[in-house]
Amino acid sequence: MMKDQCGRFWNGMDLLKDVTENKHFLPTGLEGIDTLLGGGLRQGQVTEITGPSSSGKTQVCLHSASYVAARHMGAVMYLDTSNSFSPSRIANITDELPISLVQEPRHVRLKRAMSSIICESVFDIFALFEVLHRLELSLLNDKVNNVGSKVCLLIIDSISSLLAPIIGGKYLQGRSMMISMAMILKKLADEHNLSVLVTNHMVSAGNGALKPALGESWKAVPHVRLVIFRDHGSNICTATVLKHTLMASGRPMKFVVPS
Amino acid sequence: MAVGAGVDPRAWLAVDETAGAFLSRSLSTRPPIILPPPLHRAPLRPGNVVEIAGPSNSGKSHLLLMAAAQCILPKEWEGIYFGGLGKAVMYLDLDCRFDVLRLAQILRNRIAEGCSSACPRNGEPGKDSSTDKFHCSFESTLFSDCMQRFLYVRCYSSPEFIAALKSVQSQLRSEVLGAGIYFLMIDSIGAFYWIDRDSQPVRENKGKSLQSITETVVQEIHKVLQLQPALVLVTKSPIYGEGTTAANDFNRVSSKYMLEDSTVLRYSRQEEQRNLSCRDYMPSIWQSFVTHRIKLQVEEAELSSVQENDVLSTHTSEWVQPSLKTKEKFCIRDEVHWLLNQMRRRIIRHKAAEAPKCQISFVGVLALCADPRPQCIRSPDGSQYG
Repeated sequence: MMKDQCGRFWNGMDLLKDVTENKHFLPTGLEGIDTLLGGGLRQGQVTEITGPSSSGKTQVCLHSASYVAARHMGAVMYLDTSNSFSPSRIANITDELPISLVQEPRHVRLKRAMSSIICESVFDIFALFEVLHRLELSLLNDKVNNVGSKVCLLIIDSISSLLAPIIGGKYLQGRSMMISMAMILKKLADEHNLSVLVTNHMVSAGNGALKPALGESWKAVPHVRLVIFRDHGSNICTATVLKHTLMASGRPMKFVVPS
Repeated sequence: MAVGAGVDPRAWLAVDETAGAFLSRSLSTRPPIILPPPLHRAPLRPGNVVEIAGPSNSGKSHLLLMAAAQCILPKEWEGIYFGGLGKAVMYLDLDCRFDVLRLAQILRNRIAEGCSSACPRNGEPGKDSSTDKFHCSFESTLFSDCMQRFLYVRCYSSPEFIAALKSVQSQLRSEVLGAGIYFLMIDSIGAFYWIDRDSQPVRENKGKSLQSITETVVQEIHKVLQLQPALVLVTKSPIYGEGTTAANDFNRVSSKYMLEDSTVLRYSRQEEQRNLSCRDYMPSIWQSFVTHRIKLQVEEAELSSVQENDVLSTHTSEWVQPSLKTKEKFCIRDEVHWLLNQMRRRIIRHKAAEAPKCQISFVGVLALCADPRPQCIRSPDGSQYG
């Protein structure tokens, strides 16, 4: 049943069909995280990774970017807010991936993977709005012209450094901007079959405990939320599901971030 | 109404219908609805507006999906009793976090439960492959028939929400929807609260646009209900204000009491503070529109870096309006698709293992009741997660 006004009416079978045909899982390349996520980052959903500093969030982002790019799944858009994107790290990860079925020399694979990752620096919320607007226009154009290699993964590392300064305190428009940003991300994810991966940092919750930043209003935004902790001085990180659309939360899983 | 000279004033006193006739008419056109627990405690009829409030991750969307499954399942299908209502559900997704796979999981499990209780199988499946095939095709036809009754709209802003309500009305008028909507679900009525509140640039009008939008929303839902009486289920997340607000139901006294996050309260463990900070932020026109309220809470364990086992969170529900003064615990089952026999074995095993831990304060035992099995938390297959 379709309606031409804003808001199309779907029925249950249409939704299922759309999910099975268009919205696939993009593996991150880290086994523990993939198992926890049920396969990987799902297209059409916003996944949040939160954790204390240097717990491995950026590593997860770099891993997913290289894995998706190296496996021809599509282009990756990497929005970097703190200059943490490292091409040499991407090269390391791509080189260490198991040899794919297509026999190609390593440097060719690396070159192709690097050219599928589009990296942009954004340092404030307005720049982020602009970048996303441009992305939406280019995706609409691609839809019309059917250009190959569409963006399938959008990574924002870290979104909390852009949003945290505007939320608290006297800036009154802060929360409405955060919610508008959330709506834009979800719309992009759903209509253009993107998987959105964002990272968040942690703040103190009293009594020495930690909680994810950005407060209560942000909790309702991502579809899947993971929290990761790294054991002191080791490569092993533990991830726990805070929220998931398909499974109960609270399940921990260990994974290794190769150095 | 002008009374002419010739009209008998006694005609005004004539009886239209007796109370008995009124009651039977009312019960037949708007029969009571039985929903899966914990929504079953208060009597609900089409035309009621139920607000399910609770913090994030307390199970509000889960309750909506359970109620939706209850509605779209038929009462009976080819001789097997399912106990559903067989009507359509209209789901308006404002949060845009609906996952159709979750609804499919819940529906498939309900169908499997119904089939297994009707024809219990002895021995291993696979012995009789022809009946299995028949069951599979039967289940998939039923499944697709039910999913066709689930209607879904996604809204990214308040104007889209109002436009969606208007198109629901026009579709009801033109009778395009075959089965007739029986449940109207709105996921997260406060999704656009911040955007609407801050959309007016002029300071004095702050809150006015939120008021007018909420008034329009209430009017449109009224019109939908007039065209077709339906049960309205709405979820609401709490909003923790920054202390300055113009909504007329905020208590000025406690607005100085600024709390950024409910998780801070969790560690200080004070019930009264939690109740105080969960002020109702929706304008009074919405609050008077709502006829029933249920409040959900979840106690999650602390996040720490050393966690060996699965952490079980306890969910509680409390009916605020009508005020029942009891809290119930319920569990959200991690639904995994298993073969029927395995499912039954594990339920029995976990019931025995978890009986001292799980405090289930209600058990639906009647076969006629919506959800006959008590729900247990099941941890996933141990081997998969090492």
